[in-house]
Amino acid sequence: MTDSRPTPDDDLLQHFRQHSTGEPPASLDAFILNTARREAPAPQPSLLQRWLHACQQPRWQMAFATVAGVALMIGVVMREPVPQQEISTATFSAAPPPQAFSAPAPAPMARMAVAPKADRAPLQAEMADTSAAKLSKRAPVALPSLEEGLQEILDLRAAGQTQAADEKLLALYKRFPNDDLPARLEALHKR
Amino acid sequence: MPAPNDPPSDEALLTRYRTGDAAAFEALYARHRQGLYRFLVALSNKAELAEEIYQETWLSLIRSSTQPQGRASFRTWLFQIARNRLIDYWRKHGIHNPLHDSYDEQLHAQPDDSAGPEQQLSLSRDQARLDAALQGLPEDQREVFLLRLHGDLEVPQIAALTGAPLETVKSRLRYAQQKLRRLLAEEIRV
Repeated sequence: MTDSRPTPDDDLLQHFRQHSTGEPPASLDAFILNTARREAPAPQPSLLQRWLHACQQPRWQMAFATVAGVALMIGVVMREPVPQQEISTATFSAAPPPQAFSAPAPAPMARMAVAPKADRAPLQAEMADTSAAKLSKRAPVALPSLEEGLQEILDLRAAGQTQAADEKLLALYKRFPNDDLPARLEALHKR
Repeated sequence: MPAPNDPPSDEALLTRYRTGDAAAFEALYARHRQGLYRFLVALSNKAELAEEIYQETWLSLIRSSTQPQGRASFRTWLFQIARNRLIDYWRKHGIHNPLHDSYDEQLHAQPDDSAGPEQQLSLSRDQARLDAALQGLPEDQREVFLLRLHGDLEVPQIAALTGAPLETVKSRLRYAQQKLRRLLAEEIRV
């Protein structure tokens, strides 16, 4: 327990207080108050204000941009490949209908147009099946190689089916426009 | 519980200043500027040194993020900072710290024959004599008396600030007041 009651000597303190003088110089007052004003801590901003302020800082902008870039790259790398069937379907649908192409064409062309259509029928059926099954992997389409195609043409010619051989050759021209097909046919025939 | 119209406490003003309210510091400064300044002038007995310590004390408070610890009031804390700064100054400049002198109050205690009401009323009112009487006190008594006079601190607060036992502070204050009364009364008689 502490004794903090007024003592009988408080009048002495009062006497000194009444006659005490001395004030800090005005320049000192001004200096201290100006310093206090200047160095007063900034008012605490709200969470949203702090976040917005952080977004305006160059280093945070750089950090956010880096994070966004990394996320974008990861997204691109991890993205599943588009099923090949969809691309093929889109290619087919974008192509002009074979009837429109073949209608004004001369007879060989018309025959050629019919032939691929007949070839494509099983393929389209297969693609439809796979789309229905929601397969993401590409179903391989077994197209004959150039060598096989040429051999088939030779076989057809040998069998006297020249029309069919011509159609095959035309189809090969489309698939391999840069190859010298007659020369290769000749070489194969000689073998 | 404080009434709604009560002025904010020193501690509340300091907290407001720490959160960005510059006006709170001005109120705090206005409350304590005079007492702290007079305490330092009387304790150091040098106006220039007192001003330096006074400025350092306030700047330290402005730049610090701490608050009075435990049950210490702001006033005790402020005067403690100022006292520590002054002791640091004395130590740094190789000046003997008079506050650390051991002093036997009993040896210096003289019969207080001037405690009567009539003599109390006839205390000297000359400022120079008052100052001379204060400077005539032993340092540790003077410090306790000045903390009571200008800091308006209670005895337990002075004990906490100076690190002296409570009874020692009480006796120092009592001897200081007896001696001052005697010195001032002697001035009148002379």
